[in-house]
Amino acid sequence: MLRIRNLCASIDGKQILRGLNLDVNAGEVHAIMGPNGSGKSTFAQVLAGRDIYGVTADDLTFEGRNLLEMPAELRARNGLFLAFQYPVEIPGVSNLYFLRSAVNAVRAHRGLPELDAVDFLSVARTHAQKLGLDDAMLKRSVNQGFSGGEKKRNEILQMMMLEPRLAILDESDSGLDIDALKIVADGINAMRHPERAIILVTHYQRLLNYIAPDRVHVLIGGSIVRSGTKELALELEQRGYSWLEQPAGVEA
Amino acid sequence: MSAVMTEQNIYATQFSEIAGRLPGRGLAWVDRLRKTAVERFLDLGLPTTRLEDWKFTNVAPIRRLTFRPVNQVNASIPQPLRSQLDLFPSPRLVFVDGLLDRKLSGLAFGTTPPFAEERANGTPPNLGGEFLGLHLAGLSDSLADPNQAAILESHLGRYAETSDRAFAAWNTGFFADGACVMISPGTILTHPVHLVFISTGAGEPRATYPRNLILAGERSQVAVAEVFLSASGGVYLTNAVTEIVAGAGATIDYYKMECESAGGFHVATVKATLDRDASLTSHSISFGAALARNDLRVALDGEGSQCTLNGLFVVDGQRLVDNHTEIDHRKPHATSRELYKGVLAGHAQGVFNGAIIVRKDAQKTDALQRSRNLLLSENAQINTKPQLEIRADDVRCAHGATIGQIDRESMFYLKSRGLDERAARQILIRGFAAEIIEGIRVSSIRQQSEIRLGEWFEGKLEAS
Repeated sequence: MLRIRNLCASIDGKQILRGLNLDVNAGEVHAIMGPNGSGKSTFAQVLAGRDIYGVTADDLTFEGRNLLEMPAELRARNGLFLAFQYPVEIPGVSNLYFLRSAVNAVRAHRGLPELDAVDFLSVARTHAQKLGLDDAMLKRSVNQGFSGGEKKRNEILQMMMLEPRLAILDESDSGLDIDALKIVADGINAMRHPERAIILVTHYQRLLNYIAPDRVHVLIGGSIVRSGTKELALELEQRGYSWLEQPAGVEA
Repeated sequence: MSAVMTEQNIYATQFSEIAGRLPGRGLAWVDRLRKTAVERFLDLGLPTTRLEDWKFTNVAPIRRLTFRPVNQVNASIPQPLRSQLDLFPSPRLVFVDGLLDRKLSGLAFGTTPPFAEERANGTPPNLGGEFLGLHLAGLSDSLADPNQAAILESHLGRYAETSDRAFAAWNTGFFADGACVMISPGTILTHPVHLVFISTGAGEPRATYPRNLILAGERSQVAVAEVFLSASGGVYLTNAVTEIVAGAGATIDYYKMECESAGGFHVATVKATLDRDASLTSHSISFGAALARNDLRVALDGEGSQCTLNGLFVVDGQRLVDNHTEIDHRKPHATSRELYKGVLAGHAQGVFNGAIIVRKDAQKTDALQRSRNLLLSENAQINTKPQLEIRADDVRCAHGATIGQIDRESMFYLKSRGLDERAARQILIRGFAAEIIEGIRVSSIRQQSEIRLGEWFEGKLEAS
């Protein structure tokens, strides 16, 4: 589904990603772990099409399409979704209106008719309830005045509504108390599907107690220095990242 | 002969031609009011950019043209505009090229004129009668009624200054009609009063001089909306003056929607005077014109009085909009809140000048002013300026202005959800405008604002 070869990204002349390689197949859950500043968030944003980075790659294809030639909105319409680490507040725009505009933009691209307001509302409410978000949250301005946990849950709500083929979740666990973490994890688990892939970008192993990944990758210095099974995450939890932070000779 | 002399000669001649048939002719106080004002206007001439108050707005295009006054209305209103009128239910007055159109106006609450049938049955009363505490009539008709004229004598022209204001002086000399809105003490009006001004813009450049008076009795409560519409893309001038008087404890919700055409000139002065514990909330929604100037001046002339001035201006193309506000804190314990938001695209120009005066006796004044502007193009321009004169020492007075562009991170957020550049920009601009539009309590004005904003996105305003 996603094939990445020698992905490099820089901003303001500073190299952040240095030759990153990764393959993700439909139905899989991958965890990208790494210390602060290793390039995790840049990786997530580059995949979603953030245009402030200079990006090169030998190969960056999503379902056979070259992502380098696709602006962010086309990536989204083709089924790529990024849950933001820091969701943006949009004053004056109701969450519901925003969600509906997004869902209909994606549906239009797929040749589907617009969802009518009533159908949309009932679907949105059902998902919101599962995430512990009440009606008032749907009516409020996008992310404005939301707590950190509410913002993260609102991202999951958008994912549920948009039903992406590939979901990239950037630190969706950070800043959550244990109850909120469980809600978010349940939401993500409910999205697991043979036709869908999920990339969890996280600093801590904690989320992986609730979502079992198929593969775990360690990102350090802009490239993946080690890959393994979920046991690798446990090892990282015990040993930290420092044992992997050897610049030369590490396996990719 | 200099250009200035020519312009003054033209309007001096015009005045001598029309003075004999202007409303109120023969009433000594009206004749005096007009004569003094015209002399003042001819003395001052049109303002130049050398005047601080007109620094950013050059009225040379108005000076270059000769605007003829309107004697009678020949033009018919095109159908799209007629259906637009349905948005504004009665009680309402409709003025076409500055003159009252009785067929389109009516007092019946919550219905849509024409009211011919209701009139035949005798209810509700004709314009000019009092209905549920509201007296609504054309100014020309009111001056012809001795009882009304007696009331007008103690108010008309008593509030809006003309001594150093050429446009207001010009209006005071030349006004041909307008609205007279009086609310009896203690009356709580459940329906908003709509005053609709339509410029047909047909033929040679015309000028209209709408003159409105809104008198809200003690403890009364009323919403009044002025709407300026254009029926074509012609060249015309609207020079309006509105005087608002709020009695003790009165609450006035005032709206002004300026939707002139790209070829129109619009200069308007609103002067509100508030007595003790009175409250004024103003929403000014402006889509600009070849030149649109909105002067809004509020005198907080009673202890505990308060005003909220909200404004939204949305301009593109070659349009210009200039908002000058002045809040004069004359008495202690008065509060003012002000928020003006501007959206500027294309080669548009915007001005916000917010004066706050705190007089020596106006202790415990609480004033807050904000100006927020969104520039959508490199060629658009905004000049925003607070102007504070504070002569009391125990006051709270704060102001702030921002000029920004569309936030790139917000754009990315929206695009990452599948919205394209255009849709994402629209959502962010709507969100920016929402802070003002959502505060509009009169549904017709809120709807009209949203419709106009939608048309603006579609680029229709430039065609009109």
